[in-house]
Amino acid sequence: MEFLIANTIIPTHWDSIIAICIGIAFGFVLESSGFSSSRKMAGVFYGYDFAVLKVFFTAAVVAVIGIYYLDYLGYVDVGELYIHPTYVWGAIIGGAIMGVGFIAGGFCPGTSLCGVAIGKIDAWVYVLGMFIGIFIFSELYSFFEPIYTGYFLGNITLIDSFGWNPYWTIFIFSLIAIVAFVVADFVRKKIKKVFY
Amino acid sequence: MDKKRFAKISSFRYAIMAVVLILLAGGLVILPKYEKNEGISADQLLSNIISLERYVSADDISNKLITQDPSFILIDVRDKESYGKYTLPNAINIPLKNLLDKEFEAYLNQDQYDVVFFSNDNFYADQAWAICNRLSYANLHVLKGGLNGWFTTIINPEKPSENMPASAFELYNTRKAASMFFGVVYPDQAKINTVVKRAPKKIITVKKKKRVAEGGC
Repeated sequence: MEFLIANTIIPTHWDSIIAICIGIAFGFVLESSGFSSSRKMAGVFYGYDFAVLKVFFTAAVVAVIGIYYLDYLGYVDVGELYIHPTYVWGAIIGGAIMGVGFIAGGFCPGTSLCGVAIGKIDAWVYVLGMFIGIFIFSELYSFFEPIYTGYFLGNITLIDSFGWNPYWTIFIFSLIAIVAFVVADFVRKKIKKVFY
Repeated sequence: MDKKRFAKISSFRYAIMAVVLILLAGGLVILPKYEKNEGISADQLLSNIISLERYVSADDISNKLITQDPSFILIDVRDKESYGKYTLPNAINIPLKNLLDKEFEAYLNQDQYDVVFFSNDNFYADQAWAICNRLSYANLHVLKGGLNGWFTTIINPEKPSENMPASAFELYNTRKAASMFFGVVYPDQAKINTVVKRAPKKIITVKKKKRVAEGGC
């Protein structure tokens, strides 16, 4: 998409419309795969439903394998891809808060909006809480700023910072994924079934 | 029968998918690796190297220096010592071995100015040009003949013999004038200078005489 936009095949003022279309598609997939249910989302923490783990792990593995094949064939340059910048302590603290919110509320930000769209009351409460959190953060921004913009490590990846071979890393990562799926299935069979 | 067989296969579908995933990931490890092209492709680089468009003549550069053209940067790719001894006016020293240092990237990787490389000949300058061209930097040029060419055409132009066309004499005069701009003093010009120096002395003595006469009145 970036290629199409950068080469002015698609004019930049179409950005928002493209974003809305992608958003609708994303929401549709989330909802139709049952991700707008907080019970399903929280299931991964209680061991009765590992759909979240499986979906996200599969997505990551498939994407990384696909991108590296495209890179190998010369269609995509991995070095040119955008890498999200790392703010170590911001990521750690934010991740912890997000994790607590995830377990407590049973939603992640994207799926909570899905839940809002289909009229789930817990999702409404969750999103309200999210907006309160955003409000507090914005009001106290000057207080949080040193953590938010500090401890900046640049646009780093595990492969670059540890000097790993990307191909072996991907291979081992996919092995870990499959082991995780097998273990998740094993755990799910042991745990008492929950109907929701 | 078919339904049963399908059910049998589909009960293994996750195992099959897992095997496919492992095979694909393993394929990445096993595939023969090759060195990737950095910058422009080899064909493009070759055709750029063959082309003589990169050369700028010493006459052009001297004209630009005299008219104080702000649109170009001169880059001396010789070592620091040679740069200290002699270089072109306003040239920046980037020794060839330090060409890719971070601190110099701002001079080379930009599209505001024309970059003109030069060395003693155009040999090292051509190397610098090829390296930067491969990194697809823009507006790169090489001073044809380098500093040696600069000396033989601008600083010490060859005097045309009498049977040469008028244009050769015009060119010689232009180059001679340019060399004077860059600080060369010619014997005939030097004589004129000495004459000019004597003249004011005479005038001064005349003035003194006048003053003496005025005082008498």
